[in-house]
Amino acid sequence: MSTIRKYTGLLSCYFKVNLAAALEYRTSFLVQAFGMTISNASFVFFWWVAFVQIGGRIGGYDFRDVLFIWSVSSSAFGLATIIFGNLNRITAIIVTGELDTYLLQPKDVLLSLLAARTSLTAWGDLFYGVILLVLSQGRDPHAWLMYLLGVITGSLLFTAIAVSAHSCTFFFGDTTMFSSLALEFVINFCIYPIGIYPLLVRFIMYSLIPAAFIVHLPLAIARSLNYGLVLLVLAGTLGYCLFAYWFFYKGLKRYESGNLIITRM
Amino acid sequence: MKSIVKYSGIARQSLLNAIQYPANIISRLLMYSLFISVFFCLWGAIYQGGEVHGYSLVQMIWYLCFTELIVFCCRTTVYTQMNDDVKSGAIAYLLVRPCHYIIFQFFQSLGELCVNLVAFGSYAIVLALTYVGVLEGFSFYNMPYILISFILGITLNFFMLISLGLTAFIWEENTGFYFVYQKLIFMLGMFIPLEFLPVWLQSIARMLPFSYVAWAPARLAVAYSSEFRDQVLPLQFLWVFASVWLAVFCYSRAVLHIQGQGG
Repeated sequence: MSTIRKYTGLLSCYFKVNLAAALEYRTSFLVQAFGMTISNASFVFFWWVAFVQIGGRIGGYDFRDVLFIWSVSSSAFGLATIIFGNLNRITAIIVTGELDTYLLQPKDVLLSLLAARTSLTAWGDLFYGVILLVLSQGRDPHAWLMYLLGVITGSLLFTAIAVSAHSCTFFFGDTTMFSSLALEFVINFCIYPIGIYPLLVRFIMYSLIPAAFIVHLPLAIARSLNYGLVLLVLAGTLGYCLFAYWFFYKGLKRYESGNLIITRM
Repeated sequence: MKSIVKYSGIARQSLLNAIQYPANIISRLLMYSLFISVFFCLWGAIYQGGEVHGYSLVQMIWYLCFTELIVFCCRTTVYTQMNDDVKSGAIAYLLVRPCHYIIFQFFQSLGELCVNLVAFGSYAIVLALTYVGVLEGFSFYNMPYILISFILGITLNFFMLISLGLTAFIWEENTGFYFVYQKLIFMLGMFIPLEFLPVWLQSIARMLPFSYVAWAPARLAVAYSSEFRDQVLPLQFLWVFASVWLAVFCYSRAVLHIQGQGG
């Protein structure tokens, strides 16, 4: 219990420092966050045209369902990159030898590495998800509950997927492209109705690339009120996070220091 | 003559750079395949047969392959490059070179554009053929016009990005403009043909340059007609001239904001 408290304290400390650094350049922060919100809104326009002009359901989802998966994906990804802003830079940190700095720190290497940076545009993603949910689901308590579940588990899953993909660098060398592709795959599988994909892809979405656990299962629970599925979401998230953690440390044993001297300010 | 040699040298160097990193091209080919596969699944689910707003499923997939080719594959790093040049101060070194900054940027990107157009263009055709087969009614006699339309679309996009990049001279934080521009391109033709939009929006979109980047060339390729060709090609030429003028105008204004501080 004290370990959990210790690491929660560490994460909140990183969060405060990162936020203070971001607010130092307030205009930049606001422009980037607002720009990201506008950017995401264009996709709603696409779906609005698709549903209004074509009508009916697409892949078993109606317009509200699509907005729900968009709001969860957007907020979950936003939250992941706000707290764990280095999740897209792990390979670069390993390859350049910057990892040495984190190895010397007294706390968990992976956690320190992930939380040492934040993303400014991610705030736009996070708020966009909230706005979309308010507009599309109103006061539906089931939708809000499942949104919260999806955002928390989803942010952990996005991070776990990034960690797993980037950890391949320890074994195969620079995997920047592979890692960005892996995240791109998950995001793409999250923002379109699951029903449009063939069975094989749906199987992948429940296993290798767990997009179904991030958005599609929470949506299914909100609509069917089958809360037993929450356990499945939690088990899937825990399993994937543990695997990512184990895989990172397995790879870390192969890391060789380049004796890089850097200053973190 | 000297200028031709000078700028063609820059273009050649950019071409060699683009070929030097095949892994970069391969990763973008994979990304392109992902987008097209997702859209294929999506539009396959939407189309229950027949046509929507004059487009069959086959035409729609070819349309998306072409719009993604123009916007995603034939994009260059000119916007981020110019932003970096201004913010890092590297602009000071570029401005003293014996060449015009805008023309330098154009030829610097030309090699990369050519490689992208050839590599992704061939791949787009292979991908579309694999997914939906041959495009009905397509004739090779129309190819020169379609190719001109594609080149005009890519050029228009390029000079619009240059103008946006130049705003970094005035407003240091200009990412917001880029986001808005990018989404206008997405909404007005890249993801969905203009014909799918509400009528009032279609008429506005036809008056703006954004839909002439992706919609006009892709529509010409998938549903060729001489009437449409005569309608869009002059407009594309017009918008390209306007975008070049805008880039040169922005540049002449932007350089006034430079402050050099030794070093």
